[in-house]
Amino acid sequence: MDICSSWDGTLSSSDFRVAATTLSKKWKVINPVFPPWTWVPCPRRPFWVASSDSEVDGYLSLENFYQLSSNEVGHRCSIETQALNNLVDVLCSYKSSPAKEELVNCGKEEPVDNATLVQSDDQEMHFYDFHIVYSNSYRVPVLYFRGYQSDGQLLALDEIERDLPLNSLKILRESKWTFMTQEEHPYLNRPWYTLHPCGTSEWMKLLFLGGDSQTKDGPTIQQQYLVSWLSVVGQAVGLRIPLEMINNSCPLYPVNSVTLSNEVND
Amino acid sequence: MVEEERAPVILQFAPFQSAVDEGFWRRLSSLKLDTLGIDQSPITITGKFELNLFAGFYSPCSHPQVSNHLTLLPESLPPEPGEESSSSAAAAVSRGNRNRCPVPGTLYNTNTLESYYALDKQSLLKAEARKIWEDISSGKAEEESAVLSRFLLISFADLKKWSFHYWFAFPALVLDPPATLIDLKPASQCFTLEEAESLSAACNEWRNSSLTADVPFFLVTIASDSHATIWPLRDWAACQGDGQKLLFGFYDPCHLPNNPGWPLRNFLALICLRWNMEKVRFLCYREKHGFADLGLSLVGEALVSVPQGWKDPHCVPNAVGWELNRGKKVSRCISLRQSMDPTRLAISAADLNLKLMRWRALPSLNLNNLSSIKCLLLGAGTLGCQVARMLMAWGVRKITLLDSGRVAMSNPVRQSLYTFEDCLNGGNMKAMAAVNSLERILPAVEAEGIVMAIPMPGHPVSTQEENSVLEDCRHLQDLITSHDAVFLLTDTRESRWLPTLLCANSNRITITAALGFDSYVVMRHGAGPLNYSSDIKSEGEETLSAQMGNLSTGGTDERLRLGCYFCNDVVAPIDSTANRTLDQQCTVTRPGIAPIASAIAVELLVGILHHPDGMLAPGEIATSHSGSSEQPLGILPHQIRGSLSQYSQMTLVGHSSNSCTACCSTVVSEYRRRGMDFVLQAINHPTYLEDLTGLTELMKSTSSFEVDWDDETDENDNDGI
Repeated sequence: MDICSSWDGTLSSSDFRVAATTLSKKWKVINPVFPPWTWVPCPRRPFWVASSDSEVDGYLSLENFYQLSSNEVGHRCSIETQALNNLVDVLCSYKSSPAKEELVNCGKEEPVDNATLVQSDDQEMHFYDFHIVYSNSYRVPVLYFRGYQSDGQLLALDEIERDLPLNSLKILRESKWTFMTQEEHPYLNRPWYTLHPCGTSEWMKLLFLGGDSQTKDGPTIQQQYLVSWLSVVGQAVGLRIPLEMINNSCPLYPVNSVTLSNEVND
Repeated sequence: MVEEERAPVILQFAPFQSAVDEGFWRRLSSLKLDTLGIDQSPITITGKFELNLFAGFYSPCSHPQVSNHLTLLPESLPPEPGEESSSSAAAAVSRGNRNRCPVPGTLYNTNTLESYYALDKQSLLKAEARKIWEDISSGKAEEESAVLSRFLLISFADLKKWSFHYWFAFPALVLDPPATLIDLKPASQCFTLEEAESLSAACNEWRNSSLTADVPFFLVTIASDSHATIWPLRDWAACQGDGQKLLFGFYDPCHLPNNPGWPLRNFLALICLRWNMEKVRFLCYREKHGFADLGLSLVGEALVSVPQGWKDPHCVPNAVGWELNRGKKVSRCISLRQSMDPTRLAISAADLNLKLMRWRALPSLNLNNLSSIKCLLLGAGTLGCQVARMLMAWGVRKITLLDSGRVAMSNPVRQSLYTFEDCLNGGNMKAMAAVNSLERILPAVEAEGIVMAIPMPGHPVSTQEENSVLEDCRHLQDLITSHDAVFLLTDTRESRWLPTLLCANSNRITITAALGFDSYVVMRHGAGPLNYSSDIKSEGEETLSAQMGNLSTGGTDERLRLGCYFCNDVVAPIDSTANRTLDQQCTVTRPGIAPIASAIAVELLVGILHHPDGMLAPGEIATSHSGSSEQPLGILPHQIRGSLSQYSQMTLVGHSSNSCTACCSTVVSEYRRRGMDFVLQAINHPTYLEDLTGLTELMKSTSSFEVDWDDETDENDNDGI
């Protein structure tokens, strides 16, 4: 696919698969610290929609992306101080919430065992799962995500917002094309948060047409699409991606020879 | 070794931590619904059911600051009925997954919270520990090392509240006396460079082979030539060569630099019981970026001794392992209401469209206004049903429907809230059937049904009926003052008179829709002629329209008021159904008319709510060039008249008439002065209103009275059902 002025900023489903492969590979090379983007194939398609490109069905998944609420944030997915403080506040109030824990008469006490390490207060962590799903209606990728505490309790939207860096909140509030809503995950059929895709094709078009003209041997749109898309969308949800990812000079793996399955986790 | 006289340091293990994916609870819920039923008494005698879970999962720690959790996923439970095929494929995939080392577990899910509390946790733990003990004693653990770690989960799933009470245990056999620590440090400090390289390579190979990737316990030998080899436990004998170092390795979920993780406990039990080791060198295997990391991995040396009594074949050692909740021995509870309560989901989904509209097209859209406004719909027929649906689509949640009729067989095809069932056995009351239907559409709606007939001029009441009619009048008055907006959607003209008067008196937003055979008129009434002070005690004092009405009370200069439904009439309302043929009475209209008129009526309301002047906004006329209005929703007309025969629609403005039989100051003042006596007189004496307002005079003096559109649609007295 060449960029021409008539391009409408959308992506076909097979191109999405190509773009997904590129993103996953690039991510792994440039960003080994983070959990990987893994292609999750979804065979659970109703039989009446059997199509020729059924192997495309699935989504890209990055899971267990965590944010520590401790001060030792030596890694790159740390959250900014202000949001961090907010988070600490939330967690403190949350701890005193009586609904969360309850006493149980345990009858006979467990024997005292001095071989069990009694850990000082657990680090409170918020985990995030991100899925990139292709939308057939909008013909663009859509980001679905959820946040949860280490025990699995899902985070509400306002808790998620408190985790976000300030500039993400700014983007969310001021930009017309990004807003979080809760919608049913197309494959998991449970409500996840999502960034609504209705503006995606427009700004993707701007992104590509407005940017540097592509050189002939540079990556094609299919290859570059998801990386560019994520560089914008990721900012809104606090998932920052390194500049090298977007840099075209980055070596690309031959996309056709790559299969994505059972990737190593972190 | 310098401090040999010091008391021995007890080796302390960092407990396993649990994490439960939301999807696990979802599958447990449906499993419980399918196998046990929600409202039934316990099926098993003990009131609980026991499940052998497929597995919890864990993997070696992969981050210097974060321990890995033992995680329960949807796949931990048996598949739901109907997805057997796909998930058996998924199960096949999950074998050998390096990130999902299975840990066998048992779930006790009780049917009540009481039985959950009553569970004998110590015995349950002991029963799990016995399984581990037996697997060690029998040698099974050497064949299949995953059984060394087990977990136990007790839970109560409160499916009505979407909350889950649960408590994990990770049974660990207690060594008595406990193992003591000789030495523990990062693995990188324990090997030569060659040994470290070889060990890393061997570990990576082990972790990347689908045969061994999820085997969490293993043996490591390092030969004198620095070559490291990893062996499954069953190859113990092969590791006994001279001159090689032997380490007991396990996938360590813990990240702490000074403590091994929990799985080592049962491994040590196996080592001292089966292999009679006293000095054990162990390797806490940890990773970084998917590869062995000897800086994070630990190598330790511990002294263990076989506890007395373990030699007894019938002995079961003590076990510990109930998980602490923030340092306390308490149960945990998780609520998934937000993502599981269908009522909540329906609300957020319904609001989504409106939010999108606000975000994308109408930033000024006031969703709070819409969701808090209280709408009264007089008439629950073709118009009433459709208006209610449109209101819900706009996010209006407080809807009262008033109707005196029952659902007839002819109704459901045209009246969109009713179905065939509503017609049976004489028919349900429309007001109630409509409310039921609204609640089925959106459980969060706050709908109320009022079965009541509206008293009408020209329908005289006998003295016996007088009291009940007056009661109805007062009830209607209360209803109108307690709502913000009133829709007049009845099927006769005269039934709109009293509501029009009451609305004019209390300054409520009032919208009328009326139908002809193929034409319609939709209009908003102007504000009332007199200031509305809340002299009539009402709970609607602070309602929206009252606030809007107050806007007018400041200025003394009379703005031209917009007219009401009766302002352009030169006759007072009379019985319009008398002496009519049936098809005129049950006005047969083209079916498309009512939905069009209803939709316009609701859009008009939304327009009023978003206009800075509210119901005082002057009537605007559509112009050929768009964009003439500064309001985001466009112009706010007074009346919209349309005809399907020409597919035409026009906007009109008609100002209030000083001789209006419903809204002029004479009538409203008289109503205020005389109250129900006035109403009764108007109902019983058809010419009273005309005399009062001077219409009689007017008609005498004018031979013809024509408004410019009247020649086109003159079916006001032919209103639709």
